[in-house]
Amino acid sequence: MTVLSALRTGPRAAPARLRVGIVKFASCDGCQLSLLDLEDELVAIAERFDIVEFPEASSQRSSGPYDLLLVEGSVSSPDQAREIVELRRAARMLVTIGACATTGGIQALRNWADHDAYRAAVYAHPEYVDSLATATPISQHVQVDAELHGCPINAGLLREMLASLAMGRRPQIRDEAVCAECKRRGAVCVLVSGGTPCLGPVTRAGCGALCPAFARGCYGCFGPKEHANATELAAWFEAGGRAPSDVGRLFAGFTAYAEPFRSLITERRGTRMVGDGPIVSPARPVEPAPMGVPTPTEPVAPLPLAVAAPPEPPPPTAAPKRRPSRRKR
Amino acid sequence: MGTLPTVQAQPPTPTAASAGSWFLARANLQVLIDLLRSDGRTVVGPTVADGTIVLEEIESTEQLPAGWHDDQAPGKYRLASGGDDRLFDYTVGPTSPKRWTFPPRVPLAVGQRDQGSVSFQAVHPDAPRVAFLGIRACELAGLKVQDRVFLGGPFTDEDYRSRRSATLTIAVECAVAGGTCFCTSMGTGPAVRDGADLVLSELAGGFIVRAGSPAGAELLVRLPLATASTDQTMAARRQVESVAEAIGDPVATEGLRDRLLAQWDSPRWLQIAERCMTCTNCTLVCPTCFCSSVTQRSDLDGSVNTNERIWDSCFSLGFAKVAAGNFRSRARDRYRQWLTHKFATWLDQFGSFGCVGCGRCITWCPVGIDVRAELAAVAPPLETRTADLEPAATTPAEYTIARVRSTRLETADTATMLLDRLDPAFPAGAPGQFVMVNLPGFPPLPISISRYRPDGIELTIRAAGPATTQLTSLARGDEIGLRGPLGTAWPVERAVGRDVIVVTGGIGLAPLRSLIDAILAQRLRFGTVRVYYGARTPKDLLYTDELERWAARDDLEVGITVDRAGAESGWTGPVGIVTHLFDRATWDGSRAVAFVCGPERMMEATAQVLGERGLKPDRIFVTLERHMECGIGLCGHCQMGRYFVCKDGPVFSLAKLTDVFGREGI
Repeated sequence: MTVLSALRTGPRAAPARLRVGIVKFASCDGCQLSLLDLEDELVAIAERFDIVEFPEASSQRSSGPYDLLLVEGSVSSPDQAREIVELRRAARMLVTIGACATTGGIQALRNWADHDAYRAAVYAHPEYVDSLATATPISQHVQVDAELHGCPINAGLLREMLASLAMGRRPQIRDEAVCAECKRRGAVCVLVSGGTPCLGPVTRAGCGALCPAFARGCYGCFGPKEHANATELAAWFEAGGRAPSDVGRLFAGFTAYAEPFRSLITERRGTRMVGDGPIVSPARPVEPAPMGVPTPTEPVAPLPLAVAAPPEPPPPTAAPKRRPSRRKR
Repeated sequence: MGTLPTVQAQPPTPTAASAGSWFLARANLQVLIDLLRSDGRTVVGPTVADGTIVLEEIESTEQLPAGWHDDQAPGKYRLASGGDDRLFDYTVGPTSPKRWTFPPRVPLAVGQRDQGSVSFQAVHPDAPRVAFLGIRACELAGLKVQDRVFLGGPFTDEDYRSRRSATLTIAVECAVAGGTCFCTSMGTGPAVRDGADLVLSELAGGFIVRAGSPAGAELLVRLPLATASTDQTMAARRQVESVAEAIGDPVATEGLRDRLLAQWDSPRWLQIAERCMTCTNCTLVCPTCFCSSVTQRSDLDGSVNTNERIWDSCFSLGFAKVAAGNFRSRARDRYRQWLTHKFATWLDQFGSFGCVGCGRCITWCPVGIDVRAELAAVAPPLETRTADLEPAATTPAEYTIARVRSTRLETADTATMLLDRLDPAFPAGAPGQFVMVNLPGFPPLPISISRYRPDGIELTIRAAGPATTQLTSLARGDEIGLRGPLGTAWPVERAVGRDVIVVTGGIGLAPLRSLIDAILAQRLRFGTVRVYYGARTPKDLLYTDELERWAARDDLEVGITVDRAGAESGWTGPVGIVTHLFDRATWDGSRAVAFVCGPERMMEATAQVLGERGLKPDRIFVTLERHMECGIGLCGHCQMGRYFVCKDGPVFSLAKLTDVFGREGI
């Protein structure tokens, strides 16, 4: 079932008002707040979509079913692992939003650590804390129809996804490196001009090259791009004099658990971010997937949203064109 | 800003201005900027930003990068300042004029849908009147390349046309060589030849200025100028020449298109793909890359759609995608697409390389992939001698002396001499060239060099008259006079990546032997190689030992025929004229290059059969024999139509000879 066929109502059918739910797991809520950032179009969105569940915006609760379910956050506890399966049953289409839901998020760094030791160190009564040893992306638990990446997601891309669903077309989200946005924007490459390590060449576009435009290297918030050649970029960083452990740490950010970043971090054993325990196997689906969808025995690669010839999100309007100048006067 | 010059030459008229060189005091550069701005132009020039020299709108010379120098290497750009206050002592940064003439985003149209009907409203943004100050020869070349793409027709880009026609270019000739520059190889710089309205060369205290267009001449008239002294213009010329010398010739462009197109299946593509990020940086900093995509942004019900054209890249995943799949999903496919377009297929489409040698793709590749090195690895140039030496002696008044080291009898009347102790110019010659040989008392003769050896050359001579009879009877230690090597060579580089056909008869094998040596020395660079050789009788075959060695090779097809075998010879091979060896063969000659030498009627018949096999006249090369006395095109003996065979030949393509080849009485 594709994004299109899931919701297509026929070319001439009167548009139906889709029933939309927004739910969260282990996350900061920043991604769902992106929807509220679409201030100018909230009314139009509300006319077109019946938002029945949106914890950041309304105390109203719903149990489904949903035409569209936006899922934020990673699966970090046994409860969440059960709940996502329930929700999948209630949703015709499930779209994960943000780095946590799509890759495990920053909390997935614990997948390289000793979970029990940490829990004991932090909590006075660890026995009351019912958490999994790993934080894992939603796609590792249930079938996901589409993913929207970023930490947080780009509001413009969320809007594009909603618009495409409303119209029954493919969303125009470009599958390219951050570099493409960086160059269109006219920002100077921080890696080449200053030697600042930057994950832009291996990171999916979508942020408008926000960090490089402010003289910071890309942190990889939007996750690895297609053909992410992290091995070569890491080798380049090391050839520039960085220790392998430091290079591994560069990739161990918000999307560390996404391949190929994950393997790269693991290979550089000195780069364990926390603790030095064994690497834990990720959780597996605990129940069959709903609605007749075969249970994924391996993490399912969700449909990429990107298609040919799409737009990139408009660059943040508030961002200055250039970072603070180091001009010689 | 500054002071007006105390010396003002005769105010130039536009006509006079366009002819001469003038001197603009550095203090008066601001006058130029002010003039441009008062004309309503936006002045875009180099300025330091973000640790880099970028192009940006400027208003004052204060914004120019005085005293800044760049250090560029693959994947690396660093700025340093100090030592002086020169304004243009650096090469190109990441920005190119493309950003203004072909902006990263351009609104195209607004499409609307209302019930069943649709409408489109084209958007025509106003083209800013931009004056580029300080752009370089390679950037002018980049503009010309995009001119051919967008305005060369049959369809044209009107947005580009309006922007381009509103630009004024004030170029600066480079005074330093960048670490990734190769304009010299691409023939685009560093000297500014054309395409600029004004050209500046920075000297101490100011600039040599010359006009390159009527618009530039008009501008010159309004500037406070002094006449440039000869010393100043010479200094400017020496400055840019030293840049060219510093850059050298990093990319061998001779035959590059054909060499590259012969490498679709090179394993090197995969090696590059292991390093390539497919991040699009090379294409987006390139001043000529023109790929774009049209994007739509619609309202929530799709009734209003804004179309925008944005920079795209052949390195993007979706760039060659259709519903059923992606034609270039792999990184190696994308890199190959880019490199072969820039350096090969661009020539077919637009008549020039798609590369101007600015080096941006090298500097701004985040992992330092160097197109100069990749070209050399994928499509290496033919091995060239370190230096092409001048002929050792040219005029018939001067001869150098060579010594006969050995003489070997090939047939009853033909001998091969090895000459040594000779001028290094001779072993440095090329296959197909000849020497003028002089034995005092006999008329000088042109003889093809049949083999190059590190320490000498070989001449194969048939005793056809008194002089040649004397020559063939020379013994070890005898000396002779030599001039040369002279004439044109077999264009071996044209055959790289192609099949090779060699057809020869009789003594004609001699000038082709050095060609076959050159091909066998780099056998892998060529496709199938076929040699067809005909002689009068088995006893007239030259180089019989070598013929056997060649025939024994797997990578060489050798066909030999004789006119008459005779019962006593024991010949079991084919009998007949040489074309019978292949006039019923099945090979396809459309991807072949042929080299032919023999009697003229034999070459004519051969050319006809080769034509039937699919070889075009521009891929059939012959070498002609004519009476040569001087060997340098001054005595008139060897004239053939519009050619002097000694100087314009003896190797010609059939395409060059069409109307005179085979014609009697010429």
